[in-house]
Amino acid sequence: MIVVENKSVEDILQMIAPYKKVLVAGCYGCVTVCLAGGEKEVGLLASQIRMARQKEGNPIEVLEQTVERQCDKEYLDKFQDNVREVEAVVSLACGIGIQYLAEVVEPVPVFPGVNTQFLGANRDVGQWEEFCMACGECVLDKTGGLCPIARCSKHLLNGPCGGSQNGKCEVSKEIDCVWHLIYERLSALGQLEKMAEYIPAKNWHRNEGPRKLVKEELTLERD
Amino acid sequence: MQDRGAVVYEELNVLPEVLVIGCGTEGAAVALAVSESQPVTVIDNDSSRDGISLIEGKKNITVNTGVKVMGLEGFPGQFLVRFLDNGKHAKQNFGAIVVALEAQPSYDPAKYDGVKLGERILSLSQFQKNNRDYAGQKLAFILGQADQDSLLSFATVLSSAIALQEKGADVSILYDDMKVSADDLEQDYELARARGVNFLKYSGDLQIITTKVAATVLYWEPFLPQIKQIRLVSDCLVLAEDYIPNPGTADLAVALDVRTGPGGFFQDDNVHFLPVMSNREGIYFAGSCHGPIHGIELDKEVETVKAEVGRFASGKIRVPALQPQVNAEKCAVCLTCYRCCPHHAIEIVHDESLNNMYHSAARMNPLACRRCGTCAAECPGKAIQLPLYSDQEILEKVSKPPKLVAYACENSGSLAAEYARSLQPELQANLQIVPVPCSGKIDALYLIKALERGADGVMLLVCHKENCKYVWGNERADKRKEQVQRRLAEIGLEGDRVEIIHLAANQGNQFNTSVRSMVDKINQLGSNPGKVIK
Repeated sequence: MIVVENKSVEDILQMIAPYKKVLVAGCYGCVTVCLAGGEKEVGLLASQIRMARQKEGNPIEVLEQTVERQCDKEYLDKFQDNVREVEAVVSLACGIGIQYLAEVVEPVPVFPGVNTQFLGANRDVGQWEEFCMACGECVLDKTGGLCPIARCSKHLLNGPCGGSQNGKCEVSKEIDCVWHLIYERLSALGQLEKMAEYIPAKNWHRNEGPRKLVKEELTLERD
Repeated sequence: MQDRGAVVYEELNVLPEVLVIGCGTEGAAVALAVSESQPVTVIDNDSSRDGISLIEGKKNITVNTGVKVMGLEGFPGQFLVRFLDNGKHAKQNFGAIVVALEAQPSYDPAKYDGVKLGERILSLSQFQKNNRDYAGQKLAFILGQADQDSLLSFATVLSSAIALQEKGADVSILYDDMKVSADDLEQDYELARARGVNFLKYSGDLQIITTKVAATVLYWEPFLPQIKQIRLVSDCLVLAEDYIPNPGTADLAVALDVRTGPGGFFQDDNVHFLPVMSNREGIYFAGSCHGPIHGIELDKEVETVKAEVGRFASGKIRVPALQPQVNAEKCAVCLTCYRCCPHHAIEIVHDESLNNMYHSAARMNPLACRRCGTCAAECPGKAIQLPLYSDQEILEKVSKPPKLVAYACENSGSLAAEYARSLQPELQANLQIVPVPCSGKIDALYLIKALERGADGVMLLVCHKENCKYVWGNERADKRKEQVQRRLAEIGLEGDRVEIIHLAANQGNQFNTSVRSMVDKINQLGSNPGKVIK
């Protein structure tokens, strides 16, 4: 899941300062699951915006709407009616949804209501941890199912480094050393020999630019 | 608004089979009582428990030993219990579960100045097991140094003393405070006195000296302050001991996902919970698994448990369909409700008819749900509505709020408000009380909407800490208060406009004091500059 964190209302108020009518756009996808951009958060933020502007003697009208996913155009189209009514949109979707919505509703400006943080797992209510950095070349087979790119502070492919102390990372005592965890996991799996296997450096110079993925089997060559 | 008169009932199929965990005498007592009306399976990891002989071969009772509970799925009436049965994985369905893992006596020398048990010094449990003849001997029991919170040691010592005295022993009982707060104990105490048992009151520390021929206690008597030390010489000393949870308790609590409390015994220390009830419907505690208890108390608990599991005996159960309803279109199956539910009443179901991309949604089980509304308040998609307390119904009450709005738990705040109204009605002129079934239902949105719509202040009237009928509703309410205060601070409004008050149903005066101080605070802050009046 994509994990996001709410932006400060102060920042959002600044973005929408020139406008008198805005839409707060929520998403029922990842941001609802990570408790930052669902219908409830849309309601809370909308109330905060109205009250803040009222207090300044500069009232604003705020519409509220949440759709299934802001990373699919068909769902984004559901915003069109409301977007026609407003001067600007605050999106509580992840960075993907914000950009896609901006593309769909141009020329109405779309502002981010959240800071997109990472790809992570939900440990418990209100607790998330980064698990993946979408590097595009998965090495989890070599590391006992624990990602050294996302979960090592140095993104080391061959660890641990000298900063691993009693299972913790030198960056912070709050951070588990993933290479320590990898050792423990491989040991439990009876695959400790993999610790000695050298993982060659990834080719970060592919210079592919922004990545695209096309599933050929679903793409007709009509046009 | 929903018609409050028209409650729909659901009839559910339930299994009458009851699982009793624990083959001690307490588990046996539960099994014998319950088996009168429905089938019972009694399990224990230990095959040497003293209750087994009482129930083996009895009608409607199956006994399995060497069995440990590993996990639990499903809901009351249809639980699926996973076992490790003599090393093999097994599973079985039950309608209800009764935990009767007995507490164990544990002698702690530190409570008796380091005295070791021996020939002349016995713990109470050692004494109970030996069948020695004490005729013509002097025996002394010591109470009050260990097991101070229960009546069990008192009950055991009193009945033992009467029996010994009748058999010709000379019995003394050393006590600091005599606890006889049960009908049978009062009688036993009177009887023991009548039979000639010596009751000797002491205060402070005791000193115990043992020799080959006697055991001597040196003590101080509070009513004879001029005597520094009194000496009681006996042939044998019997020391009350503490009770500790059965060693299987912690594992079983995890397997059943029920809560433990003080001393590691089952159940929270919370006056709202009846002794036999767990935080989950369909799972009950009987006997010393939730703290040492004595005979009459156990009899009462067995009766209560029998009545509770008896609801499942006919195979059908009728319940009002008042559990929260989920709008699948808005449900992101995020598991927030599932994880926040204090009663394990929620499952995620998959059904093609559910209208979202997952064809899945949360569903509240009508038997397991206690209708606190915590799930509805925490849902990030606003997909959950609690019948009779929907967001619409609650927010309608604050559509044009007066100066002050108070969301009040119906177990404390709203009752206190009612009482307070009889004391000082004028105080509630500018106050809108909005009752909720539990403060866990007070959504952060309710707080902020009341202020947005014109209130100058909002109060949350919640139960005292660790005293929520629904385990942690008041703790969640407290967190939401903090959240809204932070949100107000972000937009330059005073966090003090939101206040949480912990009180009990009978604290009408406290209610009035809190309202007065809130009104003073609001008057100082002035009108809410963020109110958006349409």
